[in-house]
Amino acid sequence: MAFSFFRKRAEKAEDKSLGISRKYVLSPGRSYVIEESPPDVSFDAFTNLVSTLDEKGKKTYGLMLTRQHPDLVRQKYGLESTSIYWLATKAGDGVISPTNLSILAQTMVKFAEGHDDGVILLDGVEYLISNNDFNKVLKMIDQVNDNISQSGSRLILPVDPRALDQKELALLQRNMERLELPGHRRA
Amino acid sequence: MKILVVDDSEAFRTVMTELLVRAGFHDVSQAKDFDEAVSVFRNEKPRFTFVDMVLPGKSGVELTKELLKLDPNATIIAMSSIINKTMIRQSLDAGAKDFLLKPTNEIALSSVLAMWSD
Repeated sequence: MAFSFFRKRAEKAEDKSLGISRKYVLSPGRSYVIEESPPDVSFDAFTNLVSTLDEKGKKTYGLMLTRQHPDLVRQKYGLESTSIYWLATKAGDGVISPTNLSILAQTMVKFAEGHDDGVILLDGVEYLISNNDFNKVLKMIDQVNDNISQSGSRLILPVDPRALDQKELALLQRNMERLELPGHRRA
Repeated sequence: MKILVVDDSEAFRTVMTELLVRAGFHDVSQAKDFDEAVSVFRNEKPRFTFVDMVLPGKSGVELTKELLKLDPNATIIAMSSIINKTMIRQSLDAGAKDFLLKPTNEIALSSVLAMWSD
């Protein structure tokens, strides 16, 4: 069962804070859509949040669902204890099928319910849409977004604007926000 | 405010310089390796130096130590395209103030500059 798998991962030893600064301000209970390809800002924001402590010195737990293989993601971003699921058609532990939207939603909702200061990265919306009807994916994201807004967690949703039409992009963005520049000053 | 970008990739140095200019920092110098960085650092005395941890020859950690010997008040920001915790800790232990994941972006870059400007 998908949820029990990430629970086990979450219970593993915590990543210690690296001593680097928190560079992204993502408000608890909010979902952020980021138009970009490749999803560099989204991965950087997610990694930065789970690798740093908040103002109260508290760790932020992360859940990542991605088209990229978890081993490669762990290696590149140093995410030893973060729960990472692979969105793929291959069966196996830690894999969620792109057509199984209910398990996908349940995994994210349970995480949000279980962590009052968590962050979820859902990378691969285009892949989900190509395997499902757009409206089904939108409904699933709306469901997760509703639960996020009742929790202290955040959702990061990178989207490639070239893969969606204007209407689809607008529908995805309607209940979401953009990342804001934290404390921006000029030299 | 003078800024130095040290990276062996010319393409990255160019993109980083463009990002810094877009963020309002126009006095940006570049260096491709340890020796060139030390030379530019001596002449320009930059307030901020962004150092790729993986450089040809001497490493970014060695460069960080050398630059801070020349100017203990300089602000060094380590960079890398992967998060290698051991390497990041070595950089911070050497005196780097912070770390940026490559390729960086305007949000992360502006945050680092704002954080360490005072």
